[in-house]
Amino acid sequence: MSHFIQLHLLTSYPPANLNRDDLGRPKTALMGGAKRLRVSSQSLKRTWRTSNLFEEALAGHVGTRTKRLGKEVYDQLTKQGVKEKTAIASAEKIAGVFGKLRKVGKGEAHEFEIEQLVHVGPEEREAVNQLITTLAAENREPEDSELKLLRHRPAAADVALFGRMLAAVPEYNVDAACQVAHAITVHAAEVEDDYFTAVDDLNMGDEDRGAAHIGEAGFGAGLFYTYLCIDRRQLVENLNNNQELADKAIAALVEAAVKTSPKGKQNSFGSRAHASYVLAEKGNQQPRSLSMAYLRPVNGQDQSLDAIQRLEVQAQAFDNAYGDGADSRFVVSAEPAYSAPQLSGDVTQGSLDELLAFLRDQ
Amino acid sequence: MTDYLVFRLYAPLASWGEAAVGETRPTASYPGKSALLGLVGAALGIRRDDDAGQKALREGLAFGVKQRSSGTLMRDYHTVQVPPAKAKVRYSTRKDELSIPKGDLNTILSARDYRCDGLWNVACWLKPGAAWTLAELRQALERPYFCLYLGRKACPPAVPLSPIVVACETLKDALDSEFPPLNGRSDAGEKALRPSKRALYAWEGEIHRLDGSAEGVEHNDIWDMPLNRRRWQFGPRLEYRRVMQDKEGR
Repeated sequence: MSHFIQLHLLTSYPPANLNRDDLGRPKTALMGGAKRLRVSSQSLKRTWRTSNLFEEALAGHVGTRTKRLGKEVYDQLTKQGVKEKTAIASAEKIAGVFGKLRKVGKGEAHEFEIEQLVHVGPEEREAVNQLITTLAAENREPEDSELKLLRHRPAAADVALFGRMLAAVPEYNVDAACQVAHAITVHAAEVEDDYFTAVDDLNMGDEDRGAAHIGEAGFGAGLFYTYLCIDRRQLVENLNNNQELADKAIAALVEAAVKTSPKGKQNSFGSRAHASYVLAEKGNQQPRSLSMAYLRPVNGQDQSLDAIQRLEVQAQAFDNAYGDGADSRFVVSAEPAYSAPQLSGDVTQGSLDELLAFLRDQ
Repeated sequence: MTDYLVFRLYAPLASWGEAAVGETRPTASYPGKSALLGLVGAALGIRRDDDAGQKALREGLAFGVKQRSSGTLMRDYHTVQVPPAKAKVRYSTRKDELSIPKGDLNTILSARDYRCDGLWNVACWLKPGAAWTLAELRQALERPYFCLYLGRKACPPAVPLSPIVVACETLKDALDSEFPPLNGRSDAGEKALRPSKRALYAWEGEIHRLDGSAEGVEHNDIWDMPLNRRRWQFGPRLEYRRVMQDKEGR
């Protein structure tokens, strides 16, 4: 198993305001003494986590939202011949683990309904089903020790990848298996100001020809370098050793990172973009970002190709100076002028689908 | 002669957390004891809730830092949308959390400080009874158990740490160890970083430790000695500092 998966992405955005600071202007950072545009790691992660792509890829592992768990338990138990009284008590106890039960009104059928929709993970459902089987076989109510049905590590790939921190219940904390750096432009960039006016359509201009509204909006365009590192071992551990789900989670994350963009000011700028270049690295070596390639800002007409070349030269230079940084590499390029990777060692070039296959654990 | 494990830290963004409560999350200009213990602990695979392991780390390792560039300060304005806490509602994914009616979402603000383009050398030495050898620590840094980062998870190292074990007369000699050029090539990518001509040295232990002289050394208590990682408790430790001309400075 390759311990670390590192991804280096180059994504070009037209004028946009993807991630704003407290003044509503695009975020920036200094690198190599030059000002760059920046998209925070938090903004990127939010984009990926809330993307449809991410949810669809993990369908079946995102659990069920239901109020009716208690009713299901009751039905199952009675079907399997458990005494009415035992079935009622068991259903109440089990559903009670997931949420407070709704009080039943006079003359109303007992449904053991939970007051609110609760999220029940797939392995939590599995635990409930197992408990039902045991109770039916032994025709008894569950004991307190058997009611520990809530899992500390839910199979939600989202939480496994990006972690969870609950100050109130630290035992439910999960350390993120994915590390994401702030994305920065490979070149120096300034935030520009768009001075805009809006006319009032009902103002005939008889008295006043002025605009009804004037404003200013900051924006910037740039080629961004994004770096992320997935700790596969930790991801698998967070997912209770479910290798298959880990592979799905990695594929979903990579596809989201390549294809989705932060949604800031999309109505004004329509700045959605796909990554134009992806370098993926697998290995057990100490991970490092390749931002060093852009310490001196890229300037020139052929920015995209220059940026790719610098990235590959940098990876090679690190290899030469410190030993190989990865066991194998994979390149996906959508830059028309790009021909082949300038990296020695085990390097393959291909499509995004082939990259996803490359990332799957063999 | 003392053996030291020396490594280099650089990232476009780093954050060396100081005492912080609430919405302002400041950064020091160089890594403190808790940050360095955390880094080495992550490489070794010692978890935050492993009390015995944390204790062994804390009691076995000592550090000195040479700040070649403090970098520039960047304040990141950070908002987080959160659903109201309801005891009986559990959200399993971020999408789940954000799918409640928009008006019900709350926003948490924080200001997080980072150092842009900072560059530091770190020397680690063992205290009596240490649970690891320097060679083991070096190996762990080269093939870490967990991802390494410079203070915050969003700050991955941007140069291999390049750990080496050296035997030196003084701590200063160890901290002045030469590393390959920052970008791995011979041309000076480092120029873009503009390392300071005057380096700041900070260390623990004894006042004479750096190079045998106590001249121009200042010291005070720094509250960054991790006492309990679970409860996030820190105690004081005495830190010595001196600013000197950097022979590597250009």
